[in-house]
Amino acid sequence: MKKTVSTLLIMFLTISISEAQMERKRANPDGPVDEIFLTKNIAGLGTVQLLGKGDLNSMIQHNFGDVRGGIDTFFGVDEGANVRIAFAYGLTDDINIGIGRTSREDNIDFGIDYRLLHQTKSDKIPVSVVLKGNFGIRTQKEAFPLTFQERLNYLGSLMIGRKFNDSFSFQISPMISHFNTVVQTDPNEELYNTVYGLGFAGRFKINARKSISFEYLPVIGKRISDTKNHAAIVYELETGGHVFQMFFMSGRWFTEQHLLTRTETNFFEPNFRFGFNVNRVFGLL
Amino acid sequence: MKKIILSTLFLLFGFSTGFTQSFKTETGKATFYSKVPLHSFEGVSETLVGLIDLDKGTVDFYIDLETLDTGNGKRDKDMKLTLETEKYPFAEFFGKLVSDFNAESNDVQGVKVKGTFKIHGEEQEIEVDGTLQMTDEGLHVTAGWILNLLDYKIKPPKVLFIKVDENQEIKIDALLKPIEG
Repeated sequence: MKKTVSTLLIMFLTISISEAQMERKRANPDGPVDEIFLTKNIAGLGTVQLLGKGDLNSMIQHNFGDVRGGIDTFFGVDEGANVRIAFAYGLTDDINIGIGRTSREDNIDFGIDYRLLHQTKSDKIPVSVVLKGNFGIRTQKEAFPLTFQERLNYLGSLMIGRKFNDSFSFQISPMISHFNTVVQTDPNEELYNTVYGLGFAGRFKINARKSISFEYLPVIGKRISDTKNHAAIVYELETGGHVFQMFFMSGRWFTEQHLLTRTETNFFEPNFRFGFNVNRVFGLL
Repeated sequence: MKKIILSTLFLLFGFSTGFTQSFKTETGKATFYSKVPLHSFEGVSETLVGLIDLDKGTVDFYIDLETLDTGNGKRDKDMKLTLETEKYPFAEFFGKLVSDFNAESNDVQGVKVKGTFKIHGEEQEIEVDGTLQMTDEGLHVTAGWILNLLDYKIKPPKVLFIKVDENQEIKIDALLKPIEG
């Protein structure tokens, strides 16, 4: 009998405590997962991370010559930089547009990202999927005449990313690149207008402000002679206003169609170049 | 012994049915106003959850901080980082009405509540002035107070290198519906 009384008293106490304060419940337990990656790009590879509506990202991307030049070229820095200046804007939370200019070949590129799926906290949607399109125009003066059509290059990529836990995110991105013109400099050279690739990207978050990321972009199927698979390892630092990315990368470019078809250094040889990106987001709304 | 059980049951029964003076909402509005020299912005959440029990005089409110929308993705992200919302998802207040309120009147009445406000894992005892008004639809609540970020160990974020004012004005506005007893 004593037991019954104690049980009733415990019940009573429990009820009065639970009535004292409401249970705290998350408003949107099935909401979208935030910050799968820190920015829209790792070194050169695009990510499923998009800008929010009204956000403008200005980005400066640099890299130098390869480090094998040693002290004579100050590990590539003396060989001059390849620089891409780019702006991207969030038209909506799911559609971003962008424009960039790369100093090599004076390539001007236009891009669009469209998010098809957004990973949710409950895992009802386990991945984020973003369709990426980019087309570039090689605008530099050539020794040989090129029509506007012949100057165009394209990229289509389907980026599939997942944040596995607070510390680790991973992405694969099958992609296709196409160049209207490929220039043969050696008669034995194998050239293809269309090249396929499968990008891999990952992020290990050290803390809220720092992470280590990587990207690897092997060519799938036929490749242009003497090209290698691009890879990069990146240290990312979010300062509140800026995201700085410092990296070693094998590719010379920051547009994936060029990384697939123009990378001539093998990261694992090892041979790579130093580079860095500076991102700054402005809220325009 | 049977008597004891019966009285306990009676107490329990009496307790659980004594809820006619309770009011609740899950769609209240909470707004904070941030000031930076030459610039100001606000963050709004319309998922403020509140429970007021006039019998016991208790006032219980909380919001999920990730629902605060400043109208700008970059700013929202910075705010979540500053408030560490993954670790501390809620801002919450639990306290008691310390002034009189006449539930029979339909007038707007000034009230004072005293209790604990918790955000960013830090608690402070605060006193808040507000109004209560009994309407046909329920109990209408408004309140406002100044929250000092440093009191809660929140580092004021920067907007273009200029620090956001450490004092943030908070306002709530909610219509709480009666809970059926």
